[in-house]
Parts: sequence; C-alpha cells; structure tokens
Amino acid sequence: MTAPMQQPPDSSLIEKMMAGDEQALAAIYDRYSGMLFGMLSRILQDRQAAEEVLQDLFMQLWHNAGQFDASRGSLPAWLMVIGRNRAISRLRGGRFREVLEENEGDYASTFASDQNIEDEAARSELAKNVTAALATLPAEQRSALELAYFEGMTQSEIAAKTGCPLGTVKTRVRTAMQSLRQILDAGLAR
Amino acid sequence: MQDSHANAEDFDLYALGALDGQEKQVLEAHLLVCPACQKELARAKQRVLRLGLAAPAMAPRPQVKLALMEKVKAKRAATGARVFEMKPPKKRWGLRFSFGFAIATAVLAFATFELVKIDWERGKQIKELQAQLNVAQAKAKLDAQAMEAMASVTAAPDSTMITLLQQAGGPPGQAHVVYNARMGLAVYSGQIVPAPADKSYQLWLVPSSGAPVDAGLVEPNQENGAVVVHLTPGLVAKAFAVTMEPAGGRPQPTGPKVLVGVASS
Repeated sequence: MTAPMQQPPDSSLIEKMMAGDEQALAAIYDRYSGMLFGMLSRILQDRQAAEEVLQDLFMQLWHNAGQFDASRGSLPAWLMVIGRNRAISRLRGGRFREVLEENEGDYASTFASDQNIEDEAARSELAKNVTAALATLPAEQRSALELAYFEGMTQSEIAAKTGCPLGTVKTRVRTAMQSLRQILDAGLAR
Repeated sequence: MQDSHANAEDFDLYALGALDGQEKQVLEAHLLVCPACQKELARAKQRVLRLGLAAPAMAPRPQVKLALMEKVKAKRAATGARVFEMKPPKKRWGLRFSFGFAIATAVLAFATFELVKIDWERGKQIKELQAQLNVAQAKAKLDAQAMEAMASVTAAPDSTMITLLQQAGGPPGQAHVVYNARMGLAVYSGQIVPAPADKSYQLWLVPSSGAPVDAGLVEPNQENGAVVVHLTPGLVAKAFAVTMEPAGGRPQPTGPKVLVGVASS
C-alpha cells in the first residue's frame, strides 16, 4: 500500500499563482470550493447566485495573490470571511456591509494559520462538531445566531425581525457563542 | 495606555457583525488604541468564521470552474500579465464639473462661429486663447463655489469635526473632516505619506447602516488645500476612513485602512 500523496501547502500554491500558474488557482479551487459553496448556498439560498459569488471570490484571489502571505495567514479563513461578506452584501441588496473590521487587502495579519480548516480531514471533523453543537442549542439561541451569521443581521435587526426585546437577543447570541466556544476554539492558538 | 478593556462578550458579537449602535462605536473607538483587545478580536474572528462550517459542503457545478479558468485565461491574454482588476472610479465629482464644462463648451461653440470670418491663421490663435480664457473662467467659478461651500460647512453649528488617525502598522498621517449631514458636504484636509505609484488614497463616509459611501480620492498632501466633497444630504456618518486602493480608486473599499476617525454622536 502506498502512502497518500502529500498535497502542496497553500503557501506554495500561492507562490505559483503569483508566478502566473493558473493550475495553482485550480488546485486551490478544488481544495476549498466545496466548503465555500456550501456556506454561500446556505446564505444566498440560490445556487446560481452562490456560483457567481464563488467565481468572483476566486477571481479576486487570482488578482490579489501577490498581497497574501500564506506562511503567516490562513487562506481558507480569508476566503470564508470575504465570501461571507460578499454573499451577505448580495443578499441584502448589493451593498458592501462590513468596512472597518473586514479588510480585503489585509490578509495575513487578520487570520492566523488554522490547520483545522486547512487540513481537509480536520476540517471535516470540525464541521461535524460545529453542526452537532449548534443542534444542541435551544432553538431561539440557534435561530438568533444563524440570523446573525448566515443573514448578516445586527442585534437590532434580529430583535425587529423576531419581535423580541433587544436585551433578549443580545443574551441569546452571547449565550449561544459561549456554549459553542469550546468547540469553536479547538486548536486555536492562544 | 488603556487601563480598562472592552467587554469580552462584545468581541464575538462584533466579529459576527451583530454588534451595533453605541456599543459598536464604543468598541471600535477602544480598538483603535488597545492592542490587547485587537488580539482578542482577531481570535473572536477566527472563532466566528468557523460557524460557516456548519453549512454542509456542496460541490458547485463543473461549469463554474470552467468559466473561472476561462476568465483567467482571457484576462491574461488581454493584459499579458495578472494585474488588479480596476473599475473606473465613481463619477462623484461629475455634478460639480459638468456645469462649468457645459458653460465652457457653450461659449467655445459661439466663439468658433464668430472666428470663421477672420484669417485662418489669426483665427486659430485667437480661438486657442479664447479656449484658455474659458477654462480659466470655469475654474475660477468652480473655485468660488468650492470656497463658498467650505465656508458654509465650517460655519454651520450642526457641522461635526472628525479627526482621522493613523492605523496601527499603517503609513504615518492624519486628517480632519468637517462634515454637515444636512448640507451633504464634507471638507477634508490632511497629510499622509505618499502612496505607491500604483495606489490611490480614497476617502469613505461610513454610515451608521449600509455600505460605505465613496467620497473620492484624496491627495497625500491635502493640508494646504482642503477638498470639498459633495455627498447625499441626510447621510448620518458613523465614521470617515481613508483606504489605500488600486490607482484610480474602487467603487467599494478593498484596500487597507490608512486613517480612521469615528464621529462622536
């Protein structure tokens, strides 16, 4: 039995992309498109829209590869954050929503390398744990968290949509995140 | 140095994008000056992004990848190299200049008609001089309008002064914006280390909700000649920010924040 072939690290694919290697972009696409498309589809509830955002995301990566230091930052983390922002912008009427904290040019310093996302097996395990943990939350906490994450709503907007007092919404989201913290923090450097 | 730190529970909410209102403003102002809380926020962001994994992975159609690779090939064939995709900057200043140019065009057209009667060589020289005069008159008119706007904004009691400060790790600089939401006018002045040749500094109004609003490109040294920016009246500004964008600017911010100033409520 032969050992499984070692996949090149993201950093080497990024370097190749900077040198104009289109197959490096294709390799990154193959590596992360499933994860990203799942998230985009969940947010947009529209396959075609999700495909368009996915394509735009990778085009941007192709254009901006030179700015990314994959030895210091996490490429899939960046893809997830920017992908989420783009999807929510599209969902909420095409307006770019997050500004001060989500900086598309500020790659490496925002998200440290995260093996639990970069490694496919670890990512799959983490995804299972996150899904299971979410399922254990009380329905109103899960709903508030999902409205925040997958629909990009603020506390005030969630309160308005659900008819709950703002304080209740805050408590629900905070409590949900506290419950999930151990799972979500797994493997993160202190 | 800050003795107190931000409420730890707010980091997750902020990373989610769920924090809003005064809590958000307070946290953002604190983050500008507290490296420890910046670190906590970075950790919260990593924690929050993992929520995306709760959505089951799905394979896009093969056509998506094919189309992507075709686009990449086409781009390379068109440019010969991978360059930043640049969109033409939004014509935010169009309203200001179009009136002056319309006058210059109308006057030029009249002058041309009159000059046809004169000897061609002399007529050509006179035409050129007339054009220069018209451009100068148009510019003077624009300058006067700008001066008037600047005076209005700075004198109005409901104007707000916002100081934009250098960001951690960013190029040195500082700027000021005097903003009047009722008038839809902002006056910007400031100084930043010159941007690289392929970059531009771009000013944004960050509203309390919604996308940032393009307030135009600014020069690195805008200290001795303030710029008047015309915006949609009624926009409540949560903050103003300067980002470094690809040359010519972008319709939405994509580059790193260089200066940020939070408007006090």
